[in-house]
Amino acid sequence: MKLRNIIPSLLLAALLSACDHPTVPTNAQKEDRLPVITPDFTEVTVPSNICPLNFAVQEGATDVVAHVSYPGGSQTFGSGTKVIIEENDWKEMLSKAEGKNLKVEVYAKVNGTWKAFSPFNIYIAPDTIDSYISYRVIQPSYVAYEKLSINERNITNFDEREIYNNMSVSTEDKGQCINCHSYQNFKTDNMLFHMRQAYGGTMIVNNGTLKKIDLKTEETISAGVYPAWHPTRNLIAFSTNKTGQSFHTKDLNKIEVQDTESDLILYDVDKNEVSIISELEDELEVFPTWSPDGKTLYFCSAKFEYKNDSIAKETEMIQRYKEVKYNIYAADFNPDTKEFSNMHVIYNAADSLGKSATLPRVSPDGRHLLFAQAEYGCFHVWHNDADIYMLDLKTLKAEPVKNVNSDRSESYPTWSSNGRWIMVDSRRQDGNYTRPYIAYYDRQGKVHKAFVLPQKDPNFYTFYLRCFNRPEFMVEPVKVTPQEFAKKAKEDAIPAKYAK
Amino acid sequence: MNSNTTKHGTAGKAPKSPAIQPTSPKSPAMDTPKASDKATDNTQKRRSTNISIALLVTASIIAMGYYFLVVQNSDTLFMAQNKSFFTTDETFLRECMKRPGGFINWAASFFNQFFYYPALGSTIMIAFWAASLWLSKVAYRVSGSWMAVLSLPLVCILVSMIDTGYWLFYLKHTGYWFCATLGYFFATLMVCLQSYTRKWVDSVILTVITALSYPFMGWYSLLALLYTAAMLTFRPHKKYGKKTRISIISLPIAAAIAIPLVFQPYYPELRPEQIWTSGLTFFQSDALDSFYPQLPLIMLAIIPLTFSFLPRTKQAKANKPAITIPLTIAILAASFFWAKESDFQNYNYHAEMRMYCAAEAQDWDKVLEEMSALPGDASREMVLLKNVALLNKGEMGTKMYRYNNNGDNPKNGFDTLHVHMVQVGAPLIYYYHGKTNFASRWCIENSVEFGPSFDNIKLQARCALINGEMDLARKYLDILATSTFYKDWANKLLPITSNPELIKEYPEFDNVRELWSHMGTTLDGDNGLCEMYLLNYFSNTMNKDSKLLQELTLNYAMVQKDIQLFWPRFFQYAHLHAGENMPTHYQEAAYLYGHLEPQNVNINGMPFDKNVVDRYEGFQRLSQSLLAQGMDAKTVGENMKSTYGDTFYWFYFFCRDIHSY
Repeated sequence: MKLRNIIPSLLLAALLSACDHPTVPTNAQKEDRLPVITPDFTEVTVPSNICPLNFAVQEGATDVVAHVSYPGGSQTFGSGTKVIIEENDWKEMLSKAEGKNLKVEVYAKVNGTWKAFSPFNIYIAPDTIDSYISYRVIQPSYVAYEKLSINERNITNFDEREIYNNMSVSTEDKGQCINCHSYQNFKTDNMLFHMRQAYGGTMIVNNGTLKKIDLKTEETISAGVYPAWHPTRNLIAFSTNKTGQSFHTKDLNKIEVQDTESDLILYDVDKNEVSIISELEDELEVFPTWSPDGKTLYFCSAKFEYKNDSIAKETEMIQRYKEVKYNIYAADFNPDTKEFSNMHVIYNAADSLGKSATLPRVSPDGRHLLFAQAEYGCFHVWHNDADIYMLDLKTLKAEPVKNVNSDRSESYPTWSSNGRWIMVDSRRQDGNYTRPYIAYYDRQGKVHKAFVLPQKDPNFYTFYLRCFNRPEFMVEPVKVTPQEFAKKAKEDAIPAKYAK
Repeated sequence: MNSNTTKHGTAGKAPKSPAIQPTSPKSPAMDTPKASDKATDNTQKRRSTNISIALLVTASIIAMGYYFLVVQNSDTLFMAQNKSFFTTDETFLRECMKRPGGFINWAASFFNQFFYYPALGSTIMIAFWAASLWLSKVAYRVSGSWMAVLSLPLVCILVSMIDTGYWLFYLKHTGYWFCATLGYFFATLMVCLQSYTRKWVDSVILTVITALSYPFMGWYSLLALLYTAAMLTFRPHKKYGKKTRISIISLPIAAAIAIPLVFQPYYPELRPEQIWTSGLTFFQSDALDSFYPQLPLIMLAIIPLTFSFLPRTKQAKANKPAITIPLTIAILAASFFWAKESDFQNYNYHAEMRMYCAAEAQDWDKVLEEMSALPGDASREMVLLKNVALLNKGEMGTKMYRYNNNGDNPKNGFDTLHVHMVQVGAPLIYYYHGKTNFASRWCIENSVEFGPSFDNIKLQARCALINGEMDLARKYLDILATSTFYKDWANKLLPITSNPELIKEYPEFDNVRELWSHMGTTLDGDNGLCEMYLLNYFSNTMNKDSKLLQELTLNYAMVQKDIQLFWPRFFQYAHLHAGENMPTHYQEAAYLYGHLEPQNVNINGMPFDKNVVDRYEGFQRLSQSLLAQGMDAKTVGENMKSTYGDTFYWFYFFCRDIHSY
């Protein structure tokens, strides 16, 4: 327990002590519908090691009681309008209901009268989930980045901590932006994240040793941006990007993040060498990701030919932003020779469908590929029409993953290490703030209803004014401390060498 | 209670502790009854004088507080709460607690809310000041006759409230306004409790408690430790052995040094150099680290360290009225003078805040009253707020140039803080121009830099309602519904989120909705320059469906002084307002442009008002005459301002060198 959490914890303890186990109201009026609860945990399937699914009842009630039945017993919870379940009680229920379900009956006192709503189920999958996830905590801001952190959450309980906080290094005109983070095979001995602006560089933990590398070379567009660590080798594929932002005057997509140039590079961690993977003219290559065997690199690329020499590339890109559409490519990779070959389209979103497919991620069994698809562009977190699709890598047929999609933006799909859980970033709650949603992918290939990452306080997401960006699964916590990262960040970056 | 803390200094009672030995050469026990009576009389007189001085100082601090806070700075305080934030939700508390001193920041944010009614917030603050003043008197056993010295930290707090200038908009410390008040009260309370400890073990326990309060009180916890050490060193109220004394004095000093180091690993956000100052406000912006507004807070930290040297309650010589009364008067006068000198009474600063609040409440008459009352040039933000007010009152065509359109970027004067409009009033200005995406964008950018504020969240809720983002609007309104003073506002708007059609029943949204609904969808950016962007955007926009939007485009084409942009918008205005009188300023522009570039449009057949024609001719005659006298253009403009400053002619020729900021 962190000391700074003492007061909130004390308050919560007081709350918990007040809730205990209330009695189920008698003579409640029956309501033939499900209760409106936030977060929506009705009929969801959850891992057998997840933290409690605390929720609040949104029925204008003054008191609520939830009667939770499980094989061999039942318990009641409720305090005010919230249903907060103690971790020990929850774990006991999960252990008894694994592979089965919890039946939740909600009673709400509305205008002095108790109502009994139709019960709902919470299905407990026979599969566990990776204990940790990490995400970048950021406001849905555009250019400002005063307070940014990469956080780690233990999702078997409610513990959260910062992996790295940009304020720990610098602020103001020396402010620093933190970019994407990546882990090799869900483990943290080999991990990285990138920093821009002040004290810029790529923080690479290699076998537990921390280094700060400057991946920008004269021959490449930029330092490494979107990363993917090879599953078996000390190699990292990055995109290099010249990125700009522009703003919609009225469109609710609000912002466009566009690359006027982008390529792919490979970084050899052991040799500290950067080499080019792809730098095709008129192609904007981005978002590399490896197959689990490390023999294929998937990535996205958009064909975009600049036609007007009289204006800046940025201006033309803004004028033609809806023409930027990405396809998904695959390239064979020989880990021994580090050579790429047979670069080919595996999903033609642009020409066949008039769509743009980005952010590919391959399942741990190598059979499926999740990606985000929208009308245009690359940064689908800002595109309300963006949905998650699953591509069968054998048949090369793609289907929308209906149970994780909403009428708002879904992006950054990822798989758990056992391939049974899908996590996506979704703005379904309000259109502005991204939240991690998790869905069960069962052995029959069915994706179950997604649920938001549970929080101790059910109203957390209402009051929290930051996004959870690029959520990633991890099987273990990050071992380098925030202070060690901060200390290293202040050191000069080691320049990477360019290898032809 | 230690005997030397009693107020019973009457004759005949032998003191129990050497610490209260009277300074008279004779001990009371040796006095004759007559001498004893005289001594008693003197003591009572001194006591009475001391109490009178103490009360005078207290009253003076209260009076100064009310004068400088309520009378002089009500607008500042209202804006301060507008730019701060508090919810009872645990998430906000957790956010505050990410830094040492988080609890005091949270508590200060709670009290900040009461500046919604500046007199109420000030009363609460002044009550804390009075309590701190008397607590310090008790803690250091200082005679009332030296109360003026004890009041100096409170003067520092007062000055720290009124000297911020435009830093008000750049503060990253959510609870700034109440933080020093609560922090000093806490530190004084801890010293006071320490002064009552009778056993060394009690002293140690209290020191440990104070040290462990570091995560909650931060900087002020460390100050409490240092004040404790100073008090125990120079004013021990209990005689300890030498070793014990050294130990209990060393402990708070060691704790003040070590405790932040111990806690540092728990605060990954904190840089190593910040661990001893977490909770102290720094005035930092992109290009500036300003010490001037921080100085009172540094003085607040230092001054109480000297209190242990003040004469004790019973030190009669040192407490002589002949010394203390003039000293009291001098300190109070100097305090008042310092506060007066530090009070940032820049007219535009206060007027701009009043205009902003009036515009936020859609009190357009008040906005224009403030603009009319300006003694000099406006800030560019004020000019834009004036434009918004005129647009909403439908008076752009008749009154746009009756107000001062000159203006520059605001300046603190005491430092070089560069004020950016996008970080001050631009979000509201964008909103009233129907640019809800840009308004909400800057609300969020500013939240990233300076933390959330009621002002931003209110505006974001409005933008979301206009945009039809009902779930987002509900989120913001739900947050505001937990606040003390904005819950009614939020609850009034919440029904729209369930039934978007209801927005039509809220006239406050009508004009913004109209501008928004007729605006095209484009992808662009403002490069951080609100005014330039608005002028460019609207002067290049054409719209035939909305009279409101069309009028805005015509006016901004005039402000741009672009003749080519003007004519199509002028004719479209005439078309949209067929049968109506052409407003004076539009006639002036047409008449002027018709003369400047007659090849573009022939104005001969246009029915101009006689007054428009007469004033143009008068303007031309006078300007030619003044130029013929050898005046430069700037001087000519100044000379003509009183006569023709309310015309487009004057604006076109003499309102120049306007810089967006």
